[in-house]
Amino acid sequence: MDKMEMHELMSAMADGQLQGEAFARGVEVAASNPAALEAWHTYHLIGDVLRSGDFTLGTVPAAFLSRMQIRLHQEQRLAPALQAGARSDATAAPGSSRMPANDASFRWKLVAGFASLAAMAAIGWTVAGPSISKPEKAQLAGAQSGTVLAGTERGVMIRDPRLDELLAAHRQLGGASALQAPAGFLRNATFEGPAR
Amino acid sequence: MVGFAAAQVTAPPLPQPAAVQGSYPERSVADWLTRMHEASRLRSYVGTFVVSSNNGGMSSSRIWHACAGDQQVERVESLTGPPRSTFRRNEEVVTFLPESRVFRVERRESLGLFPNLLKSYEASIPEFYEARRVGGGRVAGFDTEVVELAPKDNLRFGYRIWSEKKSGLVVKLQTMDAEGNVLEQAAFSELQFDAPVRIDKLSRMMAAPEGWRIEKAEALKTSAAAEGWQLRASVAGFQPITCYKRPVAGAPASGGTLQWIFSDGLAAVSLFVEAYDRQRHVQEGLFSSGATQTLTRRIQDWWLTAVGEVPPQTLKAFAQSLERRK
Repeated sequence: MDKMEMHELMSAMADGQLQGEAFARGVEVAASNPAALEAWHTYHLIGDVLRSGDFTLGTVPAAFLSRMQIRLHQEQRLAPALQAGARSDATAAPGSSRMPANDASFRWKLVAGFASLAAMAAIGWTVAGPSISKPEKAQLAGAQSGTVLAGTERGVMIRDPRLDELLAAHRQLGGASALQAPAGFLRNATFEGPAR
Repeated sequence: MVGFAAAQVTAPPLPQPAAVQGSYPERSVADWLTRMHEASRLRSYVGTFVVSSNNGGMSSSRIWHACAGDQQVERVESLTGPPRSTFRRNEEVVTFLPESRVFRVERRESLGLFPNLLKSYEASIPEFYEARRVGGGRVAGFDTEVVELAPKDNLRFGYRIWSEKKSGLVVKLQTMDAEGNVLEQAAFSELQFDAPVRIDKLSRMMAAPEGWRIEKAEALKTSAAAEGWQLRASVAGFQPITCYKRPVAGAPASGGTLQWIFSDGLAAVSLFVEAYDRQRHVQEGLFSSGATQTLTRRIQDWWLTAVGEVPPQTLKAFAQSLERRK
């Protein structure tokens, strides 16, 4: 499958949209393709960040894996109760505050069986919001958000090939600026995205 | 006689050249911009150009620039990421992508727009930006004057421009947000004027290599009105420049993507509109990468991707104003 298809599959799987055979296929792809695994990890991270509303970076795989194995162990003991809870997508059990909702689901446990987790994929974009460099800086989007876009939250977004295309088109044809020559043109030419 | 004496004692005030509040008295904004633009048209140079963003990204390229009369030729070799060579001869741009053996050809109208662009924005740039000289500095070994173009409202970013003292060439350009944080910097790290760059040699390099795939940009000029779109209210300072339609790769039946381009003279915004596709159009939101902000949003049966080197609230204003024509 091509890269775009693989990304879509991983994204759908991380969102819990795949069922039955499609899901099995997704798991197979992730297990056999390191790039797919990387993408899955990132989509999952995105989901967590969107749900929790915090900006978080991925953790070192080894540390993450060992923590997860401990949790898995704990969850296996609670499995019967969770099976019933997962269907109604219930809120997390009392006492486990700020845990992403999918932590308790059966699907999460299955995916967690992977032997290793690749490092987070390179992120090209960040959601306009908490700046990485200046913590005290005013929350730009938050301060101005008289209207909050549907579904927008602070978070991290993976590099999207389609978005890259539009961006390239903007730089190529949208360069209507008095600062074009030379800085504007050179800036755009230096930036132009990865080869299609 | 008293009146006459009085007239002699109090001399009439000196005439102030274009006394727009805050403008640098020796040069107007238009003068600065013209000088910067001309510098590039009149000198040859080679150098290394580095673009860095506040998100940590950095790209650089090697530049050759030659000019003769009205001909401007430029060669840009990417030093970061996949190899890529971009050549420009006036408005004609060709790109070599060695890894995929693709040769791309396009006409970039915007590059030829400058004199007219400046004319249409001559009044409005000072209306929305204030020019201030903020001292000098050395960049790539050259003495420069620094001009700051500060926005007068919160719908645009500010710029700090290092202009080489003798020629006026822009050697460093910073884009800044309202708090003065640098979002992006584009600068020569190395620069040599009047290097022996041969315009004919550069021109000759612009031919498609044998066996490579030739791609021609498929952007059709159109108008927003013809495509059924309008802005309910214009966004202050931004005028529509042009509009293109392109087929969508992988979705030929979708009717294509519209690109409606606006500019306030310094910053550009592109509104990309395409048919809504449930599979692909999943993430609505506001994203940023250096100076470039992106907003995605569903508008009825369409999907908008607004891109521009402008603050997020400007993209929101465009998104809220875009509507179908009745």
